[in-house]
Amino acid sequence: MLRELINKLSDPIISFPLATFAFYLMLKYYKTFGSKKFAYWTVGLLIPVTVWFLSDPNFFSIISTPDNIPIIILLVCVGFFTWFAISKAAANDIRIEAGLGPIEATPEEREKVWSWPNLVYTELFAIIACTAFLVVWAIIFKAPLEESANPTWAPNPAKAPWYFLGLQEMLVYFDPWMAGVVLPGLIVAGLIAIPYIDTNPKGNGYFTFKERKMAITAFMYGWLVLWIYLIIVGVFLRGPNWTFYGPFEYWDFHKVVASFNVNLSEIIWIKTLGVGLPKNLVLREIFGIVLSLAYIIIIPPWMAKATRVGRDFFQNVGAIRYYIFMFLVLMTMSLPIKMILRWLFSLKYIVALPEWELNL
Amino acid sequence: MSENKEPGMAYNMPKLHKVMAILSFILFVTTVWVFLDDYIRPWKAIQVESLQIKRRHIEESLKAATKEIDAKKLAELKTSIAKGEEIVASRKKAIDASENDLKAVLTKMKAQTIKNGVSNGDVSAMNFQYETAKGHHEEKEAEKKLAELAKLKEEFNQGKDNLKAFQAEEKIIRAKIADLNKEVISTQKEMKDMTMKVTLLEAAKKTTDISPIFAIRNMPFVDYLDPTIKIQQIVINDVTDDRYFRQVPRVDRCITCHTFIDQPGYEKEKQPFRTHPKLDLMVGMESKHPMKVTGCTSCHGGEGQRTNDFVSVAHMPDSEKQEHEWVQKYGWKEPHHIPNPMFRLSQTEAGCVKCHSGVELIKGATVLNEGRMAIEKYGCYGCHTMGAWTENRRKPGPSLLKIAGKVDKEWFKSWVWEPRSFNKHSKMPAFFRQSNNSKPEFVRLNMAEVNAIAEYVYDKSKPYIPNEKFHPGNAENGKKIISQVGCLGCHGVEGLEEQSDKVKAYAGPWLTGLGSKVQPDWLVSWLKKPSHYQEDTIMPSMRLSDQEANDIATYLLSLRNKTFEALTFAKLDTKARDELLVDYNSAFDTHNGAMAKVAKMNDREKTLDLGKRSIGKYGCYSCHNLEGFDGYAGIGPNLVKEGSKPITQFGFGLQHQIPQERDKWIIAHLQRPSRWDEGIDKVFKDLNKMPNFYMSEAEAKKITVAILGQVSDVVPLSGIKKYDAGEELYNKGMKVAGKYNCMGCHQIDGLRGDILRNYADDINQGPPRLVNEGHRVQANWMYHFFGNVEPIRPWLQIRMPSFNLSLAEKNALVAGFQNGAHQGNFEEPEMEVSWAPGEREGAVKLWNSYNCVSCHSIGFTKDVAQAPNLHNVAKRLRPSWVRKWLKNPQAILPGTIMPSFFGDDGNVPVDPSIFEGNADKQIDALTKYVIELGKNQK
Repeated sequence: MLRELINKLSDPIISFPLATFAFYLMLKYYKTFGSKKFAYWTVGLLIPVTVWFLSDPNFFSIISTPDNIPIIILLVCVGFFTWFAISKAAANDIRIEAGLGPIEATPEEREKVWSWPNLVYTELFAIIACTAFLVVWAIIFKAPLEESANPTWAPNPAKAPWYFLGLQEMLVYFDPWMAGVVLPGLIVAGLIAIPYIDTNPKGNGYFTFKERKMAITAFMYGWLVLWIYLIIVGVFLRGPNWTFYGPFEYWDFHKVVASFNVNLSEIIWIKTLGVGLPKNLVLREIFGIVLSLAYIIIIPPWMAKATRVGRDFFQNVGAIRYYIFMFLVLMTMSLPIKMILRWLFSLKYIVALPEWELNL
Repeated sequence: MSENKEPGMAYNMPKLHKVMAILSFILFVTTVWVFLDDYIRPWKAIQVESLQIKRRHIEESLKAATKEIDAKKLAELKTSIAKGEEIVASRKKAIDASENDLKAVLTKMKAQTIKNGVSNGDVSAMNFQYETAKGHHEEKEAEKKLAELAKLKEEFNQGKDNLKAFQAEEKIIRAKIADLNKEVISTQKEMKDMTMKVTLLEAAKKTTDISPIFAIRNMPFVDYLDPTIKIQQIVINDVTDDRYFRQVPRVDRCITCHTFIDQPGYEKEKQPFRTHPKLDLMVGMESKHPMKVTGCTSCHGGEGQRTNDFVSVAHMPDSEKQEHEWVQKYGWKEPHHIPNPMFRLSQTEAGCVKCHSGVELIKGATVLNEGRMAIEKYGCYGCHTMGAWTENRRKPGPSLLKIAGKVDKEWFKSWVWEPRSFNKHSKMPAFFRQSNNSKPEFVRLNMAEVNAIAEYVYDKSKPYIPNEKFHPGNAENGKKIISQVGCLGCHGVEGLEEQSDKVKAYAGPWLTGLGSKVQPDWLVSWLKKPSHYQEDTIMPSMRLSDQEANDIATYLLSLRNKTFEALTFAKLDTKARDELLVDYNSAFDTHNGAMAKVAKMNDREKTLDLGKRSIGKYGCYSCHNLEGFDGYAGIGPNLVKEGSKPITQFGFGLQHQIPQERDKWIIAHLQRPSRWDEGIDKVFKDLNKMPNFYMSEAEAKKITVAILGQVSDVVPLSGIKKYDAGEELYNKGMKVAGKYNCMGCHQIDGLRGDILRNYADDINQGPPRLVNEGHRVQANWMYHFFGNVEPIRPWLQIRMPSFNLSLAEKNALVAGFQNGAHQGNFEEPEMEVSWAPGEREGAVKLWNSYNCVSCHSIGFTKDVAQAPNLHNVAKRLRPSWVRKWLKNPQAILPGTIMPSFFGDDGNVPVDPSIFEGNADKQIDALTKYVIELGKNQK
């Protein structure tokens, strides 16, 4: 019963909003989240839950595939380091509120030490430890030997390397050139642009959340929900034919999922207005085009004028930084928006112009 | 942080060093582990073990060889050597002197050789200089050089001559030394010859030593240089793998572990060390498929490149027991990522197919041949395209063009509904009453279909009036005739179960219940002249007399199936018919549109339309000749590449008890095709249409082998078995022989001869075996024989039937037999008999002394003949065959009653007084004599 419930909840339609909500809770109550007590309780609860999960043969077979081991390591590491950073930030924020300044700024922490051997030597330790770990891993979990590559006979499911599974998941919602070219390109460009956009001088050399709310929230959402969460979905919950399978579900090759997606133009012209699709391509897609342009062009100035957050941010960083930042945020948000539209309205494309190789 | 930190330090240094030490140790261990992991491979252990096995074998032969040596003789030789050495010792001075002489001559020779080398170079260099000068017309210079050249040449010749003189001297001295040592040398040589085998074996044994050199050559790090333990591989150019649209020669590394596969003598070792069980046909150097050319996976399948372990190469267990054993022993797992795993042992013959395409029966491939015979029996190729060997075949079922003249409509319907209820041996499969269409709503529709099919078939049927009248005869006698004249070569017959079961005939139907099926007049006409009813039938005329035909008919008509007779088929349900028609029509129309269309037809049109559509749906026309279906393709999927079809494309439905393997699916499918629909919600028109043949598991397994072999592998032209013009003609001829089921009676070149199983007691009472038949009989005679059968062996009760062969078929048969025996049309035209002086008298003497006429009595005495008429030899047999036959009849037909007059080898003359006891001359004379007999008769 419980397993079936978890299977149902894991469906991206539900689990994605849940993940977003959890993310919101985590940041809203970050001081509680960052407390040791919370960590102990979580670990204490997670151990029996994990054991119970592992007792399921289907879950175990997915999780124990040699390919999936890095994801388990990733889960543990991401969980720990997220908690660690937030816990440090929470501690500092409490001190800052009390007027004490961050721990890193206390005199005893400000003492300078030699980079050799304190830094370089310990880095060497890390290198050796990592090498030994990777070697042992490579020996124990051998690369699986499969059939010889055959371009006419792809394996099913055909999965990207685990670190690209987030991108592959985007292919479900976007045209390949969007999911494979434009969005990854923007991720790289955005990462490069961060230091130039972020002019907030605070939080340098110490953990804090309160002083960098905007930057941390934006980045962590992209990282945890749009990247890590999608990798988890791609690894554990996408089976043959890229169909969704719950964690306790058998990967039946023949599973069929009902899905019939329609374009925005079809929804409006045919379903709502009850007339045929116009012959003129631009006219046919006019609603999508207007909406997309409005999304990119109207929202940023409107926010800068009408909302307090927008107004403050605009004043703090100036017009160019503001518009670039907003553009990046909007592009980031296009993924969850597209997901939600897909789930709610079976929406295929907002702008569907396959004639021009342009689908949004 | 620790308290005893130095200033500027965050950590305690000694502690850091300790961490460093531990980490370094861990890294060291992992590094060693890497090399060990890389070094330790399962196949290495196997090669070491094989080395020990080889050693054991050498030791055994060494023991045997040592035993062979006569110890006494050896001791004698040793003492004689000792004695000889004493004698030689007494000549020590002379020997020493000669040895010194030899040394001096050898020194001189060496010096002379050097001198000659120098002078040879000088001559060549001077020659070049002279020719250059001459070529540039520097005459003066040239003259000078020429003089020098002459001098050098003379020197060089002198040197050569000197060397020859020294060589002669050396020879003399060596002979002298040998002479001085003679008491020892010859004995030593004798001893060496005696112990040669042992010496060689000992040297061989040395190669299996685990010596320090062996250890060093195979040591980690060093073993890349020249290891003795290494991966062995065969590159097969004639079979390729598809790698990115490029065909790459296949590489097989199986011999890395199967070390003795091509070496005889290891038949009793455990796997993987065993010798190939059919070394004379496969793998062996002298065989048709030598290892270096054919490799392993080209026949066996599997992943030939892999040497990881037992599992990765996709070994496939032959039985559940073996699977269990392998799981225990090797951790065997079903190979998931391998498109074509190895063929199971019992399915290995499937590997023959991809290279031996086109022919039906492949000699030596028993299971495959039986599978193909079963395919022929059930006529799988009617609906399925199955590759070159099934092309251009006759339709497996009888023609229905005049069916109304044979059986009545009511019988027809009940038969189509459930053939087995009439004939439990029916080859006609069951389309209805299967697990997927037995729901009442489906049965109702099925029955409408059967009714409509019957209406269509009888509507199209041409009238037929039998040309004979039935007169009741003697049933017992009829049964006897059936068992004697050869009906059983093609038909099983009720009442003759024992004989029928032995023959397992399948070309014709099992004869039962004929009294409930056909009209008596039809049956007699059919028996007398089958082609009167069906022009293209393969059923031959047995040249039955009226009495015989009536007796047989009386017996067959006495076989009745009362329960079947009592069956009546339900009247056509017009509602069901209309529903089906609407369904058909709505494929390209709306439901209402289809209804309107159907409503426009009249009752008859509707029935006939559904009949035609149903015949098309079930593919009846694939097996039966039916009007209105010319050019229709078979309804079954193409099976030409079935053996390579990805496993994911096989629908296993809800049959979870069947392992997800290609062969398991095919076996299950053949036995009960409707199983895949079980438990699945399907509409009527989507039901699986493959009918049920009720075949046994054994048959299904054999057919599976034949189908599994049909793979998509690209075999380069060089790898495909190529037939020369003669072989092509033979195959073509055998195709005709297969069509008319000649091999139901005759064993042709060792294949089949089903009915012979009934003549196990005396094979001479059965139909003659045809061995190299094209050599036995003359092409002309054979051609005329097909058109006008005449008895050759009057003592036989079984008859050669008169087949309704076309001109082309007769030609194909004659040319096939001829070329199969490598004979030309008129290789030996009717020989003019010319006698040497006295030869004919000798022949007559032999003729009388052998008393040929005691068996070959026709035309000579009144005795009952036990052998063919010799007056026919001239026009029937080829003289060279007669000679071969006289020489050794048993070699051609084992078990023949023809005596081997000339001994087992054909060399022993019976009467030494004739032709100086020369057996060949005697055979020649006899041959001439029997040919002359025929000539004289003309």
